[in-house]
Amino acid sequence: MSKPKDDDRFDKYIEILQERVSYSEKILMPLGEHLNVVQKGTERVVKCDCGHEFGDWRQNWKLGALIFSRDDNEKLEEIYPGIKRPDPDLCEVREFYCPECGSMLMVEAVPVGYPLVFDALPDIDTFYREWLGRPLSEEKEFKDMTYDVTRQWGRDIE
Amino acid sequence: MTERKGIGENGKTIKQMLAENENLYRETGCYAGITEPHLLKENPIKGELFHSRIMSSLIAGRETTRQVAASPFVREVAELCVGLYTPEGDNIAQSTGIQVHIKLMGDNIQWMINRNYEEEVGINDGDFFLSNEPVIANMHAADVYDILPVFWEEELIGWVVTVIMEMDIGAVSPGMMPTANVERGTDGLKWCCERIGSNDRLNRDFEHKIEMCLDMSDIFLLDRKGAIAANIRVREEVKRMIEEFGIDYYKRATRELIEEERRNQLARIRQRMVPGRFRSVVPAEFPMADQPVAWTPAKKDTIRLIPIQMDIHPSGRLEIDFEGVGEWGWHPFNGTPNAIWGAVSVVTVQTLSTDGRANLGSLLAMNVKKPAVDTLLNPSQIQKLATSTPWAPMLDMFGMWTHMLGVAYYLRGFREETFNYRSSAGWQMAGYDQMGNKRPLMAAGTGFFGPGACGVCDGVDCGGWLATAEVDMGNAEVWELFVPHMEVCHAFDPYSVGYGRFRSGLAIPSIGMIHNSPQLIGCAALGTASDRIIPNLGLFGGYPGGRRTMILMRYDNLPELMEKREPLLFELGDPRDLAERFPGQVSDHGLIPAPVELREGDLCVSANASGGGCGDPIERNPQFIAADMDNGLTTEWQAGNIYCVKTDYNEETKQWHVDETATEEMRQAKSKERLSRGMPAKDWWQKSRQRVVDRDMDSKIAEMYQSSMKMSDPFSQEFKDFWALPDDFTM
Repeated sequence: MSKPKDDDRFDKYIEILQERVSYSEKILMPLGEHLNVVQKGTERVVKCDCGHEFGDWRQNWKLGALIFSRDDNEKLEEIYPGIKRPDPDLCEVREFYCPECGSMLMVEAVPVGYPLVFDALPDIDTFYREWLGRPLSEEKEFKDMTYDVTRQWGRDIE
Repeated sequence: MTERKGIGENGKTIKQMLAENENLYRETGCYAGITEPHLLKENPIKGELFHSRIMSSLIAGRETTRQVAASPFVREVAELCVGLYTPEGDNIAQSTGIQVHIKLMGDNIQWMINRNYEEEVGINDGDFFLSNEPVIANMHAADVYDILPVFWEEELIGWVVTVIMEMDIGAVSPGMMPTANVERGTDGLKWCCERIGSNDRLNRDFEHKIEMCLDMSDIFLLDRKGAIAANIRVREEVKRMIEEFGIDYYKRATRELIEEERRNQLARIRQRMVPGRFRSVVPAEFPMADQPVAWTPAKKDTIRLIPIQMDIHPSGRLEIDFEGVGEWGWHPFNGTPNAIWGAVSVVTVQTLSTDGRANLGSLLAMNVKKPAVDTLLNPSQIQKLATSTPWAPMLDMFGMWTHMLGVAYYLRGFREETFNYRSSAGWQMAGYDQMGNKRPLMAAGTGFFGPGACGVCDGVDCGGWLATAEVDMGNAEVWELFVPHMEVCHAFDPYSVGYGRFRSGLAIPSIGMIHNSPQLIGCAALGTASDRIIPNLGLFGGYPGGRRTMILMRYDNLPELMEKREPLLFELGDPRDLAERFPGQVSDHGLIPAPVELREGDLCVSANASGGGCGDPIERNPQFIAADMDNGLTTEWQAGNIYCVKTDYNEETKQWHVDETATEEMRQAKSKERLSRGMPAKDWWQKSRQRVVDRDMDSKIAEMYQSSMKMSDPFSQEFKDFWALPDDFTM
């Protein structure tokens, strides 16, 4: 049987995270090891502990990362030797690094050609307004803006 | 002419009661229209006593079954569960055990109600009904439901249902969860809520049928008797409770338990997660080309995408959506919308509703968006198809869902709740056991896998199975009595790991040595559809565990080796040179071995793998690595190459030691290597896009995308938006 969870965990956790990072912007929500959504002026951006910024939290932050794709036998064997190796004809293992500090922020294993997985898109305004009862100023529309970036990249190569 | 009196409350039919109950829920959003639950709160001690009486009767019922039954699945694995239901088929409480079937067993009751069983078949005190039909609601045909109505003064006031997974239902070889199985008839015996007994006695003709049709008829019939004993025990306890608490209290309190749990579930989600959208994907592999099936259109290998999206709405309501799932196929792995609810149930009781009060209310706080018709998860042809193993993709899907729930917990600061599950596959057999009986057999030893890392510590070694932690595989010695093999491996496999700052638990491979069978064939029992594509279970810089596979190893000269007392293979060791080290033939069969004749001394290996690690592996505490190495859980190669830790072995202390300075240098070098190796995302995108544009990929992968794009316009649009492809693009 699990014990009830502490109601103030979120605030305590944010307080601890804030003490540990190198920047002063207010952390609104953790997004992963080393990654947080922070309030920067009127914007909310994804930021690494080292200070590197990945852009608006509504765009998949992976579009701002360095990507190393393990897509052949040699690269896969470095991690998954022998019988543990997936098949590079079917599967690629993508590593996402912070371009500034080199931390590995996420690894995804997907079929060849699968779009980058947008793991978590938190509805930050609803959370603060309706769940915590203290709305943020300058509320933002909750929507996925990833394709604004990729469509623009498509226009750039035309 | 007077209207016929129904068996429900105040002379209503139970069909009327079900319709009224559904209307009340639609109108109020509260179970049974209970907008102001009060009875349990008015006297909380009485309410707790009431609930604990129900729970203790269900758990006692389950233990009763284990004592009556003979199957190792019941006695050792304890893969059974007992549930109490309202007259309308809504779950009030369930015993410990495999809590997959909360809603599915109720769906069977409601199927009976909606098909007018009350008038056309008859529902009487002391009737036994039996069901294992996945087209109605079930996880697979081997899960058999024993259903017992509960009457009080001639009024139907509820149902008790027990589920047991059977070792034999008469399916095509190998007969338990066959994979070489495409058409419905090859699933074995099916019951669609059929009456198999009355007046608390099994029908004699039913017993004759079982004796004639099943190789393991004694096991099957003893399981029925165990389930019936549990059901009757619970029924009689319910009657005693009604005498003690009163019928009005019983009826109201059981319904308030459901509404209370619905509210609690919403509150738990709002307390522990954050609203928003969470996504991942499961690619399911179905290698059927080499399977010996008569329906030849089935003989092809396919891969199907199962994208998963979890939306947590402002109300706390949690919705799961599989938009983009590919088409159904001729194989036994297709799912159903009902079966999805089974998987939701089993994850829910392990992640959210862990206080022993899980019931239908736990699920009313959630919604599963019904997958499109003719997708893998909702085939319109389901009644034509075999349904022996929908579990295979389902376990991968819901291992992934635990991962997504973990991310939602993490974002709220509850990182200790972050983890994930992974499933496995094993060898299944048919043939003669060591006593000379021909029957289906399953290698089910101590193997299996490690769950993913937690957000604050490593995963538990060999500590996880999606289908609830208290259902374990039991004692190898008992399984060895049932299956002509010996479990020879009891060592963790260091290479099964998902690396990370916190690593996953480790798996133990299952290595069964065939012994003393006159004739035996082996093939697969699947609990996963992952083979050459590893699951996306790495978290925040941790890696997913590697590939799992099934291997057959055949010694060239086993008698000679034994005569000379040479060492045999008891663990997999280094995965790079397994074939070279082994004195004999090694064949890697992947996910589904085509049926193969097994010989004395053959090793049937299931090389299991684990869930995901959490966090960057080069941030793992070096002392944890040295401790793992001392215990044989991490190798020097892994320490140096993955964790970037320099270690030395001290022959005197027999311990590994960390060279802190060299480790720091290695880790800094790794960070630099990443910065030079990693490609800016835009460059990576352009290169990968070209591969998509050129269809430069395996034909099975291209067909997988075609299938999902055909079934889902939103998926197709998002795929084209991500890769900036023209609107008329097709794979």
